[in-house]
Amino acid sequence: MSAASATPANFPSSRRWLVWSGIAALCAWVLVPIYLVALGALGGRQGVYQWPKTGLPTGISIEPFLLFLRSEGVTQSFLNSLGAAGITVVLSIALGAPAGYALARYSFVGKDSYRLLVLLTRAFPLAILALPLTVSFIRLGLYDTVYGVGLIHTVLALPFAALVTQGIFLGVPRELEEAAWIFGCSRVQAFFKVVVPLAMPGIVATAVFAFVISWNEVFAASVLTVRNRTLTAYLLTVLSESPMHFRFAGGLLLILPSVVFIFAVRRYLFAIWGISSK
Amino acid sequence: MKTFISAAMLTTTIMAFTSPVLADTIFLSTQLRPIEEATAVREQILQGLEGKVDYVVEEPPQFAVRMEAERQAGTHTISLVGALHGELSPLADKESLEPLDELATKLAGRIPQSLLDLGKLGKQTQQYIPWMQATYVMAAHKDALQYLPEGADINALTYDQLIAWGKTMAEKTGQPQIGFPAGPKGLMARYFEGYFYPSFTGGVVRTFKNPDAAAGWEKFKELWAVVSPNSTNYDFMQEPLAAGEVMVAWDHVARLKNAISAAPDNYVAFPAPAGPKGRGYMPVVAGLAIPKGAPDRAGAEQVIEHLSTQDTQLLTASLVGFFPTLDVTLPPDLDEGVALLAGAVNAIQTSKDAVISLLPIGLGDKGGEFNKVYMDAFQRIVLRGEPVADVLEAQGKVLGQLMADTTAPCWAPDAASEGACPVE
Repeated sequence: MSAASATPANFPSSRRWLVWSGIAALCAWVLVPIYLVALGALGGRQGVYQWPKTGLPTGISIEPFLLFLRSEGVTQSFLNSLGAAGITVVLSIALGAPAGYALARYSFVGKDSYRLLVLLTRAFPLAILALPLTVSFIRLGLYDTVYGVGLIHTVLALPFAALVTQGIFLGVPRELEEAAWIFGCSRVQAFFKVVVPLAMPGIVATAVFAFVISWNEVFAASVLTVRNRTLTAYLLTVLSESPMHFRFAGGLLLILPSVVFIFAVRRYLFAIWGISSK
Repeated sequence: MKTFISAAMLTTTIMAFTSPVLADTIFLSTQLRPIEEATAVREQILQGLEGKVDYVVEEPPQFAVRMEAERQAGTHTISLVGALHGELSPLADKESLEPLDELATKLAGRIPQSLLDLGKLGKQTQQYIPWMQATYVMAAHKDALQYLPEGADINALTYDQLIAWGKTMAEKTGQPQIGFPAGPKGLMARYFEGYFYPSFTGGVVRTFKNPDAAAGWEKFKELWAVVSPNSTNYDFMQEPLAAGEVMVAWDHVARLKNAISAAPDNYVAFPAPAGPKGRGYMPVVAGLAIPKGAPDRAGAEQVIEHLSTQDTQLLTASLVGFFPTLDVTLPPDLDEGVALLAGAVNAIQTSKDAVISLLPIGLGDKGGEFNKVYMDAFQRIVLRGEPVADVLEAQGKVLGQLMADTTAPCWAPDAASEGACPVE
């Protein structure tokens, strides 16, 4: 401190230096593992085992990637994953946001126990439910369909959707809604014209959660499908037992869509962080 | 965001209309799951068939759930299953496999009778057709051979020699160089059931807690002192072998193949060591079966016939490292790594002190619990250092209860029993 006060002229520059080194450290925190995964994926069969590591991309080979992309069903399962995640996002917002709104705005008997009960859907391990679930899915004709997977992922994502949106709707001042009523909006209009725009960043964050939950879920997705596997289920059944460089290649392939998705909605994410830090 | 949601909805709608029509023969397998092997099956092994076959792989827990769910619901999508003897046996117990006697008669001259009989799973009719077989061997990097104790024959090692070898390697290289697949997905339980117990006690269930077993565990503790502590993370020994983390390893042949095939000149393969009661060894059989109600039984039978031809079986051996069930000799121009492994298997089969141990029979869906008894004993005795006698007593009770529950009779190398196999 004394050094800083003795040379006040240097203070801003050292502060800037601190900020930038902090940024660099945070970037490295995220990027170095991804870089190492990419290196492992591109280094070929023996590259993974090389020691000491050079840290530089030597002996690049895209053969494991090509094997993936060529292998039957990867494209289809990628589409399936998008489809299931899409259904999950749409349904969990469509069902979860009204539930969250009700929890935020109304007080009713059993509200607290309802909040707790919602979480119970996550209390039972899927492995226990797998058999009855599969049997009923077969009977309902949902077995081996993307809808079926989307539905079960919605069940997994709904508690989060309801509880997270509750917090978001609590953050939207009730006065604004009441003002809208006074100016002649119906309740529904007020909801869509005033509350939703203000809550949008939070709803998007919920959508991200739902997307990621669906994208990463393996067990249900693999038990409930035979041919219409999602990408994660498809890759994980083959990946966990494949040679190292295939695992890295598959890992990279699985990271990329999530990174792209989060990049696409980053504006909304920053906004929600802004709200929650107030 | 709106564009994203509408894009997602669009994709979903498109997919609803492009779902493929179910016309192919669906072949569900718990074997040959790793991507290179599955690709080899799809692109090479299943070539030359008339109909299109959809090769789908699945891990054993999901496999069991799916087969049971399809049986209960009565709607079937799977026409053909390929799985281990032990995974097919619960299906046969529930009468959910089609009898395959016609196929069995056709193949009778080509597949050895003893192997075909295994496929009856203790019933009157043929439940599965033996598809591939494999076993467990040890492999060592050639650099490790210089540390072998004097006078030791690598094809006839004893546990004492293995321990001495491990000690020398640890002293000379500065770290333990023996590895076992004791990780979460490793096959360590099979080591105890098919190698350790038969070698030290001449049995598996009956002898679980007798004095021979206690002495064996003491010996195994000595061995573990020169085993790489990373072993509890290893699932497939080919990786630490190839990475140079260990020089000597025990594992399933298909889980050693990649390392050995990549550099066949660097490795030797040899039988597991012998204990006081002989050299334990466990053959593994994978079979092909048709579930009752299969949508495409004719197609499935064609696939079975195709997979049982000599050409396909030899191709399978060279591509994925599982050996033929047909009575054929492997050609000399086979993949060098597979040839090395086949040599080790041959050395076990022809060794005078071999004690054949079968995969557990009659446990139904309790196979996992059976494995857990042995792995728990291992963890408590070796990793946590609990007293051998206490642990064997406690685990012996669990095992006895398990055998009583399943009423499974003894299998080799245990002497036959009336009723459930007892823990003596």
